[in-house]
Amino acid sequence: METILQTVDLRKYFPIQRANPFSKVKKFVRAVDGVSITIWKGTTLAVVGESGCGKTTLARTIALLTKATSGDVVFNGKSIVNGKTDPKQVYRDMQIVFQDPDSSLDPNINVGDTVGEPLYGLMGWSKDAIAVAIQRGLTAVGLSGDMADRLPRELSGGQKQRVAIARAIGLQPKLVILDEPTSALDASVQAQILRLLLDLQKEFILSYLLITHNIAVAEYLSDFMAVMYSGEVVEYGETSEIMAKPRHPYTITLISSAPIANPWKRNLLQAEIRGEVPSAIDPPSGCKFHPRCPYADTICSTENPKLREISTGHFVACHFVEKTA
Amino acid sequence: MTRLLSVQDLSVCYESRGGTVTALDGVNLEVSENELVGVVGESGCGKSTLALALIGLLPTPPALVSQGVIEFKGTDLVHLGPKAMRDFRGTQIAMIFQEPLSSLNPVYKVGDQIAEAIQIKRQRENGHGPVNSDIMQKVHKSVPPDGSKLPRSKRKISGELREKAIASLKLVRIPDPDQVVDRYPFELSGGMRQRVMIAMALSQEPALLIADEPTTALDVTTQAQVLKLMKELMDKVNTSVLLITHDLAVACQVADRIAVMYAGDVVETANVFDLFSKPLHPYTQGLLSCLPTGSKNKVDLKPILGNVPDLRTRMIGCKYVSRCPYVMKTCSEKKPRLEGLEKHEVACYLYGEKNGNHPTNS
Repeated sequence: METILQTVDLRKYFPIQRANPFSKVKKFVRAVDGVSITIWKGTTLAVVGESGCGKTTLARTIALLTKATSGDVVFNGKSIVNGKTDPKQVYRDMQIVFQDPDSSLDPNINVGDTVGEPLYGLMGWSKDAIAVAIQRGLTAVGLSGDMADRLPRELSGGQKQRVAIARAIGLQPKLVILDEPTSALDASVQAQILRLLLDLQKEFILSYLLITHNIAVAEYLSDFMAVMYSGEVVEYGETSEIMAKPRHPYTITLISSAPIANPWKRNLLQAEIRGEVPSAIDPPSGCKFHPRCPYADTICSTENPKLREISTGHFVACHFVEKTA
Repeated sequence: MTRLLSVQDLSVCYESRGGTVTALDGVNLEVSENELVGVVGESGCGKSTLALALIGLLPTPPALVSQGVIEFKGTDLVHLGPKAMRDFRGTQIAMIFQEPLSSLNPVYKVGDQIAEAIQIKRQRENGHGPVNSDIMQKVHKSVPPDGSKLPRSKRKISGELREKAIASLKLVRIPDPDQVVDRYPFELSGGMRQRVMIAMALSQEPALLIADEPTTALDVTTQAQVLKLMKELMDKVNTSVLLITHDLAVACQVADRIAVMYAGDVVETANVFDLFSKPLHPYTQGLLSCLPTGSKNKVDLKPILGNVPDLRTRMIGCKYVSRCPYVMKTCSEKKPRLEGLEKHEVACYLYGEKNGNHPTNS
C-alpha cells in the first residue's frame, strides 16, 4: 500500500511561563513527544486518547497550524514541516474539519462562499467553475443547492458540520483531518455524519486522520488505530485487532471504561481503574502510565518503553506486554 | 418496590420572543425506591427541563409549569410554595450538574462547602429553616479562636465538622481526603470535583438524586470511575437516582430502567434489557440503530432522517410523525398516550389505541 502521510519522531513542546522570571529552569508541556505514525492511502487512522493526551496538538502540528519542535512530517512524499513546502501547496491536498462548526464557520459568510473560498484562494478557479463546484459539494454532503445563500446561524448543528465537510472535500484533497467531527452532535446526527464520511471516502478515495476520544466512533470509522497517552503513542495497529485484543495496559483500561450500548455487557461497573491522567508538565518518569498500571515494576519507573512489534503490524510500548496476552 | 416519585402529565413551557416553546408536553414518569432511572434523549428534548422542574429550580418566568403533578412521597411539588420547597431541595431531592466547576463556589474551600451542606441538614433537623447568610459564618466559627484573624485562605475548619467533611470525601474515594478538604475547587481535577459534588449531595442522604449529565464533561476512564461510585453509593445511602444523559450507552451501563424522551414527550419507558432487546417506539428503534457498536464492515448505521420539530409550533399529534417510517393517518391527528404494562410503556399507535392489542400485554 502507498503511504499518504508519515510522521517521524514528531515533537511539539510548549514552554510554560516561569513563576520566577530569572529562573534558569525552563519547563515544557510535552504535548506531542516523539510520535511516529503512518497513514495509508484510502484508509482511516484513528488517534484515540483522553483529553490532554496530545491528540489535537498532533493534528494541528500535521496541519501546519503550529510549528513542530522537532521531527518530520512527510506528506505526499514531501517533508512539510517548518516551511519546507509552501503551506498553500500542502492545503490543496490536506484539509481539516474541526469539532465545533460554530467556531470554524464564519458567521457572516454564507454557505456557498464558505464552501467556495478554498477553491478561489488555493486554486484560483474562475467564478463559474466555483459556482458549479459549490453545488456539487453541497449535493455530495446531502444538502440542497439552495442552501448556498444561507448563513451558518440558519442551519442546525448537523447541517453546519456538513458545510464544514463540504468545504474540506471541495478541493478533492488526498487527506482530511477530522478533529472530533461528531463530538458536538446528537446521536442521530452523529450517525448521519459518520455515514456521510464513509460514503465520501469511498467516492473520492480519501484518507482520514480521525482524532477522537470516542472509542465507538473510532472503531466504526477507522482501519488503523493509534492510542495516545501523555503525548506518546502507546499502541498502534489494526483497529479490529486492537479492539479485540488490546495489549497495552492503558488501552485495556480505555476500552474497558468506554460505555458499550449493550446492557448485557456491563463492562463499566467491572472496570478496574486506578488514578487519573497525569499532569503534562511533570509527567511520571519512565513509562508515563506506570503509577496507574497494575503490572508496573521497578523498570517501568526508570525506563520509558519503546514501541515494539508484537505481531505483524501491531506495536505496543510496554515492558511487560507478555503479561497482558 | 415502593413508588418514590410519580410525574403525571407534566407540561412546562418557556415564553420567548419567538413564541411559546413547549419544552415538556404531558410527561409521565415514575421512580421507585432505590432505583436508577436513566432519562435519555437528544439535545432539546426537555430532559434538563424535567430535572429542573423536579427540583423546583425552573426560572419562572420565562418558564411556566402549565399543568401536571409531581408527586414525591405523597406531596405534590408543583403546588408547593417556594419556602416549603426548600425543605425538599437538598435534603430530600439533591442534584448534581454537568459542570462541577460552575456549581462549586470558587472562593470557598471544598471542606467548607461540604460542611455547609452538613450544617444546613442539622439546622433543618432541629427545626430551624436555613438562614443562608449565617451558615458560612457558622462554619467558620468552628475555627480555633487564635486562627480567626487569619485571612480566609489560611483558615481551616476544625473539629467535628471537619471530620465529617473528611469522612464524606473518603466515602467518594478521594485520595488524601485530609488534604483535599483544605483545597479550593480549582485545585482539583474534573473527576475529583464531580466527586465532591456527589459527596455534598449525598451528605444529605436524599431520597432522590438527580444527576444531570454528571459525566459529560469527564474523560472516559474518569466517567467510568464516577458512574461506578454513584451506583455503589446508591445502595449504601439507599437513594434513587434519576440519571439524565444524552448517551444511551452510559444509561444502559448503569440504569435499571430507561425513559426515552423526544421533543418534550416520554415516548417509551422500559426495563433496560427490554428496551434493548425489543425497542417498541420507532424513535427508540432509530436511536438504537444510530449507535456505532462495531466496525464499519460489520455494523450498518441507519441514521434517522429529518430533524427534530420546532417546539414553538404546537403539534397535536405524535411529534415523531415527520421522521417516522410507519406513520399512519391517526398519528398527526391525536397524540398517542404512554400505555402498556407497568414494565414496558410506549406512546405509539402501532401498538393499538387502547391496551387491547398491546404487545407487552400478551
